[in-house]
Amino acid sequence: MHKVWVIIRREFVEKVRTKWFVISTVLGPLLMASFIVVPILMAERGASRREIRVVDATTDGFGGRIVDAVRPPLPIEAELVSVSLERVESVADSLTTLVGEKQLDGYLIVTDATVANGSVEYRGKNVSSLTDMQILESVLGREVLTARLGRAGVDREVVAAAQIPVRLQTVSIRGGKVTEESGTSAFVLAYAVWIILYMSILLYGVQVMGAVVEEKTSRVIEVLVSSLRPFQLLAGKILGVGAVGLFQLSIWAVSALVLFRRRDLLLEMVGARTGGMVGAGTLPAVSVATLAIVLAYFLLGYFLYAAMFAAVAAMSNSEAEARQAQMPVVMLLVVPTVLMVGILQQPDGGMAVALSLIPFTAPIAMPVRWAAATVPLPEILGSVVLLGGTLLLVVWITARIYRVGILMYGKRPSPRELWRWVRAS
Amino acid sequence: MNDDVIVDLQHVTKRFAGHTAVRDLSLRVPRGSVYGLLGPNGAGKTTSIRMVMNIIAPDEGAIRLFDLRESGQDLSRRIGYLPEERGLYKKMRVLDLLVFLAETKGVDRKSAKRQARQWIEELGLGDWVLKRVNDLSKGMQQKVQFIATVLHEPELLILDEPFSGFDPVNTQIMKDVVVRLARNGTTVLFSTHIMEQAEKLCDSVCIIAKGSKVLDGRLAEIKREHGGRTVTIAVDGGVDALHAILEDGSLVAKADRYPQYAEVELVAGASPQTLLEAIVRQRLQVRRFEAGEASLHKIFVDLVGKDAATPRAEEDRHHA
Repeated sequence: MHKVWVIIRREFVEKVRTKWFVISTVLGPLLMASFIVVPILMAERGASRREIRVVDATTDGFGGRIVDAVRPPLPIEAELVSVSLERVESVADSLTTLVGEKQLDGYLIVTDATVANGSVEYRGKNVSSLTDMQILESVLGREVLTARLGRAGVDREVVAAAQIPVRLQTVSIRGGKVTEESGTSAFVLAYAVWIILYMSILLYGVQVMGAVVEEKTSRVIEVLVSSLRPFQLLAGKILGVGAVGLFQLSIWAVSALVLFRRRDLLLEMVGARTGGMVGAGTLPAVSVATLAIVLAYFLLGYFLYAAMFAAVAAMSNSEAEARQAQMPVVMLLVVPTVLMVGILQQPDGGMAVALSLIPFTAPIAMPVRWAAATVPLPEILGSVVLLGGTLLLVVWITARIYRVGILMYGKRPSPRELWRWVRAS
Repeated sequence: MNDDVIVDLQHVTKRFAGHTAVRDLSLRVPRGSVYGLLGPNGAGKTTSIRMVMNIIAPDEGAIRLFDLRESGQDLSRRIGYLPEERGLYKKMRVLDLLVFLAETKGVDRKSAKRQARQWIEELGLGDWVLKRVNDLSKGMQQKVQFIATVLHEPELLILDEPFSGFDPVNTQIMKDVVVRLARNGTTVLFSTHIMEQAEKLCDSVCIIAKGSKVLDGRLAEIKREHGGRTVTIAVDGGVDALHAILEDGSLVAKADRYPQYAEVELVAGASPQTLLEAIVRQRLQVRRFEAGEASLHKIFVDLVGKDAATPRAEEDRHHA
């Protein structure tokens, strides 16, 4: 046991000292900070006002009401250009020139047909902005409705009072209880869980592969296996890299939390106006149970994949060869990723249940399901038992492949040879 | 079983896909001896040593170390192993690496550090303690590898082709250390295909070829038995001038000709004196006349055959 500890410590100390570790550990929080800052900066930049003209060819001054409605806090300002129907096109031409000269963002042409059958035209350079177009549509829709109701004899005040926006608040129910979590936050959480698990299992699994290949190519392996059993070496390697992974993940988690809590400070630092926008985002509420599930499946999944990556490395002669041979292993990890949308849309559907029970996809699929919806306890237990059993089997097979493979140089073994390695004891 | 046998192989056989690397090999390394495992490349030396270290398991037969049941890994504290394939962690610092390797053998951290520093000083690597292995010259890396083998003061040193790949200066340093350790009671088992080295260092040898044992025993006895009647002759005019004498069946049983001299095995009944008289009768100018034991190389060639003794192109390295 002491020898395994020696391997773990070396793996940890040497990995933590590498440039790779230092850079990626620092880069993580920087990336997270940019996730917080960039959208807000973008929003601020987007907050510059768009200037448009409303070309009013109506007979009842409908365009004027549009201009009145398009004003702060909306990010669009409008001015009225009243014309007769015949002159619309020539005015439009000169406005087009103004848009070309960047003195104007666009113009709206309203006619009597607008109120009559809803036809209206906007020409501008911001037509690809979904927000801008939604604002115009909703203003137009409201005003057309008001105008038509007015014609039918309904009082304007009544119409205005009747028009209030509806906001749908979603609250997720788990295990028959109403939670603090909103629907969106469950979705965000599931997504975050997926990304974290996929990235970390892949990242650290590949690290184990690199470590094993390095020992093989540098030939230091033979000295090691003369004083340690291959299984001790394998266990130390996987636990050591796993410890590095947990260490790095917790640095990232803590810095993410701190960054998010003190994001007002962060925004001040980059000189963003800290208006009401800062309060807008909240971290999705994460329960202790969710945390435990994610952590448990990360560990089980990491061990499973690290063992498979180690077997791949033991069969290969070089880093490049190992990267080729790892494809089947990576594919297994990619399966739940490809089917992620399906899992999220129907967390209780047949596919989601199957993926969360199959040991190779469970490490990602089950926590994602858990984050998105309620998972019955028997399913979790079943999945853990299956995963644990497969893990033992894979480690047993890997230890055997490892023992023979680490001393083999030359041709990569065929599946039949591999089978012989596994059987020989 | 005898406590004074440190390494004991009994009827050990190892097969690899397609061929038998070691066949029914038995040998005993007595305590305190310097034991040479000799044989041409591909004879099964490395396979045998790996089985002793329990890196690979024999298909048949039994191996015991220190007359104990434990395997090589469990006894790593008492064994120093230098594999044929040398290798170190390239990115580790010299001291960290030596301490780590000692720890994997079961030495505690503190004494590992102390001993590593001691050896580093002794072999003149003092300025390089905190450098990474990568920054060291090849020769210095070899020293580090050797320190890793002897650092924990093992009772048994197992060296696989210790003199191949080392430069002459390091070879000499290493020989001196090995001789010193052996004098202090360390048992040494080493493999080589270079007979001159074995002859200088060993007191016992085992010669194997094609996986099987050809001969083993104390070097002095082997020499007495197999090469008691050998004469080395050199004359002016080279070996060609000796032609008539070397062909004389009443005197010479067998002759190995080299450009400047010949190694001659006498027939039973003939004495070196008669041979010398024959040379003088031919009016040849004698430059060297040495009666005595055959070199280990000669014994080896006689036993194994010239083909097997000539190092072959490296084939199936991992099976060797």
